Amino acid sequence: MDCNDCVERLYAFLDLELDEKELASVRAHVSGCDDCGDELGLEARFLDRLRDCCTSEKAPMQLRERVILKLRGANPPTT
Amino acid sequence: MASDEFEAEALRHLDALYRTALRMTRSEADAEDLVQETYIRAFRFRDQFTLGTNMKAWLFRILTNTFINTYRRKTAQPEVTDLEGIDEFSLYRRMADDRAASTSPDPEAELLNSVVDTEVTDALEELPEKFRTTVLLDVEGFSYKEIAEMLGIPIGTVMSRLHRGRKFLQKRLYDLARERGIAAVRTPQKS
Repeated sequence: MDCNDCVERLYAFLDLELDEKELASVRAHVSGCDDCGDELGLEARFLDRLRDCCTSEKAPMQLRERVILKLRGANPPTT
Repeated sequence: MASDEFEAEALRHLDALYRTALRMTRSEADAEDLVQETYIRAFRFRDQFTLGTNMKAWLFRILTNTFINTYRRKTAQPEVTDLEGIDEFSLYRRMADDRAASTSPDPEAELLNSVVDTEVTDALEELPEKFRTTVLLDVEGFSYKEIAEMLGIPIGTVMSRLHRGRKFLQKRLYDLARERGIAAVRTPQKS
């Protein structure tokens, strides 16, 4: 595997979407190539930052209440 | 599944559904309507949910379908761009070029921390809708295969949309950091 092959697979690697054979090839390449290792590190930090920003928001309380009312209205408890 | 059990399990995913709907529709009112509609449909079709399978993925499939059928049509606008050319952008290469002139001990952290969360989410909202939806589903932890099924597109398309969407966001963040003149990406001043 050369650097181009490795860079092409960086996202699939970080997304845990590579099969075992490709996973091993990327790992082997990265362990011997500082450049690809650094690029992998940067992409990993970027994805972490993106995930942190996008997954912290909460739904408004009144939406939760409205959804519960709708669900119970659609199917009132039988007991 | 009893209806109260179903309700409790489904409500565990409310925050994730809401924040995704908010980024999809880019409107709080539309996001709330979309989430409500998603729950109403989920409850109506709860017999179709297979016990022991992934409830979050099932709810997101309903959310995505509802969005595509209702809101995408409502806000139909020609896709202004397919993000052609963005593939070439490499944050790593740009930063490597800047690194020689940088005085920062950790330029990458400086760049990623120089932007606040709302700037990242604003950049996300600037992404064309198809790319945005794909990136959002990825952020919520779904696999390529699950995203492909939800959107009715091949896995290769999921991969190329993720690739371009991420490059677009990186370019946005890089440009913002440069505008701000942070040390990590500062171009040396000519004397």
